[in-house]
Amino acid sequence: MTNALELKNISVIYGEGTPFRKAALNNINTSFPKGEITGIIGHTGSGKSTLASLLNGLSKPTEGEVLLFGENIWAKPKEMVKIRSRVGLVFQYPEYQLFDETVESDISFGPKNMGLPDDEIKKRVKLASEFCGLSEKELKRSPFELSGGQKRRVAIAGVLAMQPEVLVLDEPAAGLDPKGREEILGGLTEYKNIYGTTLIIISHSMEDIANYADNILVMKDGEVYMQGGVHEIFMQAEKLFDAKLDLPQITKLFIELKKRNLCENTDVYTVGYAKKEIEKAITSK
Amino acid sequence: MSFIEAQGVEFAYSPEEDKVINGIDLKIEKGSYVSIIGHNGCGKSTLAKLLCGILLPSKGAIFVDGMNTADEDKAFDIRKKCGMVFQNPDNQLVASVVEEDIAFAPENLGLPREEIRKRVDAALATVDMTEHAKHATYKLSGGQKQRIAIAGILAMQPECIVFDEATAMLDPTGRKEIVSAMKRLNKEMGMTVITITHYMNEAVEADRIIVMDHGKIISDGTPQEIFSEVEKLQSVSLAVPQVTELMYLLEKDGFDLPRGILHAMDAADVIEKFMRRQSEND
Amino acid sequence: MLKDVTFGQYYPGNSLLHRTDPRIKLIILVEYLVLVLVAESELAALTSLAFTGFLIAVSGVRFSVLIKSAKPLIFVLAFTAIVNLFFTVGEGEPLVSFYFIKIYQSGIRNAVMMLLRLLSLVLGTSVLISFTTSPLELTDAIESVLSPLKKIKVPVHEFAMMMSIALRFIPTLIEETNKIISAQKARCADFESGNLLKRLKALIPILIPLFVSAVRRAEELADAMECRCYHGGEGRTKLKVMKSDAKDYVFLVTVTLITVAVFFLNRLTWSEVVGFCADIF
Repeated sequence: MTNALELKNISVIYGEGTPFRKAALNNINTSFPKGEITGIIGHTGSGKSTLASLLNGLSKPTEGEVLLFGENIWAKPKEMVKIRSRVGLVFQYPEYQLFDETVESDISFGPKNMGLPDDEIKKRVKLASEFCGLSEKELKRSPFELSGGQKRRVAIAGVLAMQPEVLVLDEPAAGLDPKGREEILGGLTEYKNIYGTTLIIISHSMEDIANYADNILVMKDGEVYMQGGVHEIFMQAEKLFDAKLDLPQITKLFIELKKRNLCENTDVYTVGYAKKEIEKAITSK
Repeated sequence: MSFIEAQGVEFAYSPEEDKVINGIDLKIEKGSYVSIIGHNGCGKSTLAKLLCGILLPSKGAIFVDGMNTADEDKAFDIRKKCGMVFQNPDNQLVASVVEEDIAFAPENLGLPREEIRKRVDAALATVDMTEHAKHATYKLSGGQKQRIAIAGILAMQPECIVFDEATAMLDPTGRKEIVSAMKRLNKEMGMTVITITHYMNEAVEADRIIVMDHGKIISDGTPQEIFSEVEKLQSVSLAVPQVTELMYLLEKDGFDLPRGILHAMDAADVIEKFMRRQSEND
Repeated sequence: MLKDVTFGQYYPGNSLLHRTDPRIKLIILVEYLVLVLVAESELAALTSLAFTGFLIAVSGVRFSVLIKSAKPLIFVLAFTAIVNLFFTVGEGEPLVSFYFIKIYQSGIRNAVMMLLRLLSLVLGTSVLISFTTSPLELTDAIESVLSPLKKIKVPVHEFAMMMSIALRFIPTLIEETNKIISAQKARCADFESGNLLKRLKALIPILIPLFVSAVRRAEELADAMECRCYHGGEGRTKLKVMKSDAKDYVFLVTVTLITVAVFFLNRLTWSEVVGFCADIF
């Protein structure tokens, strides 16, 4: 399996040499497999967002290397723009970055900066807006007339239109209602399945991560607390619980059931799977 | 008359635009803990602003403690009775220092200095932020900022606080802080709490849930009642808590399990009981 | 880049400067500005420097924080120093003469004086006002000092309120600006190359979102303020009543004396001072 991104001995230290020295990230070693979705979870201040800004070279680690398909992204700092088009980064509440007259021209901003020809830009804008659930009519409107959920989609489409090989999203569904969450995360998954893009999703919602991710990276106090496949991580759900992470409600139920000796597994995180497990438990007793 | 009463309320932001609120009748009793849920754009935030008198109905009327919100002479009294905490913690703090911000409302009320001091200290204690009294507001976490916003309202000594998606921009820790503050205000201080949210885990904490869709109320009842109607909620793009959905699906498959289970612990109890019953029957 | 700006950031504490009546501080600020600007002779400059040092010492603000706040001004400082160094044409022979560059003794003197003066102005004003006076105290003080103007219908309260809110939002907007810059950089925006026109155009994707968000914040804040019964300055009371005590007046009188002294020191030469001291003893 190829790794799209690899972090080697990454540390980010603020105020080195002063009494206020603080390690935002401490010796991080991890990798993000190509074509899969990796979810990053952790408390506020665990270093998730710092990590995200390293991945496309927006900030430079104090120590260590960020490898994009084996190449150090800081090898040629002058070509950082190229790296940024290959690793797309969508910030938290990205709707606040919209600026152009129409949705279409706003989505074109990234591809234009990459210096692509006009017809290619048009094609990319169309594709990106389709996956983000934006209609032809909405492309002609001003982004400032749209609802909050639609604005979010325009902002995501703006990064998607660069057709990055890796797409990093910081809380893409924050503040949206369940349907809005599903539409955005579902659309991204679909896009990934067709184009083989590597997705990295930072989220506070363990339920979203459980539903969409293949792998999980759990951060705690600037370090990697746990990492592995979704199943693997939820097998140790108690360990997540100890770190006071917000578990899916259904996993909490199964931890309780295990305590009461009614069920053995705790790697249950979707309602469908839970139903099967309960039915199995009931019929076997 | 109830503490808050809405009678045939309609509202549109301008006469040309579609109505955001489309005929709402509502009574909220003093001391109750009500949650208003609905998907983005269903009109729940507009309703919240109407209830506090920040917006005035285009049709119908809203009464707060018997006072019509459209009555300009009463505007001041209504605001004193019914405070509001907004979504974005950064956009509702007026001052750079915590205690100066909390003092803002009592200062506006023209209270004497000693009384302001007393209220500020009491409000800080209620939200558990006394040690931050002299801190700069912009350095606080989101949850702490929202607690300051709550304290700023408490210093008016209102009878009711409306939370307009006050937890939407917070992380899970911040969200828990605010929800526990809401519960305390209601249960210990007897305050009327109205919370607008689309987090179901938050809505279940209330004593009464009102479901909105397209500017109308479509359901109104206890959390158990509301979350028994899983399909109805899903039809208006709302999700139910995971265990509620699980129990609902199991029941639909013919297992004799109760509906409207909201918490993991309750679900575990019910499942344990069910299994015991089964093994006894065998 | 922008995150290093600490202007308008209150540094909570309980130092002498924190406890001084903000109205007195405003008057002292005016005197201080006069003092720094008129100090011409070495003696006067030394006095003004010593006084600035004294202000910093009694402010309780950590020196590293102060230096950090002055950092964004390095360019301005360096520029001023260089201009003075190279472009002062003094009397006598230049010290250094290299093609068209001529450095005179008076050039060095001017450069050092300007540098110290600017640095004093920045640091002195920071510790006297921005770091030790909360924005609300400051606006209260301005409102109070300017209150006579209310009689001629100048909206003093509104002006003060606007200023205090502007100060409160500085850190928020700086943070937001950084966020927007990062977001546009992630979309391959280039702010660093091209000619002036291109660079100015590159700012549009930053300025528009910033403006839109400032308007949104203003609207929300207005609602929040209304909810908290804000209705203008009429009938408002204050949590903190400004009181001046003996210590404030002693401070004020001292600064006044130092300012007057600087005027005299400007006219004195070293030999006169020595002679003056000799007379005393």
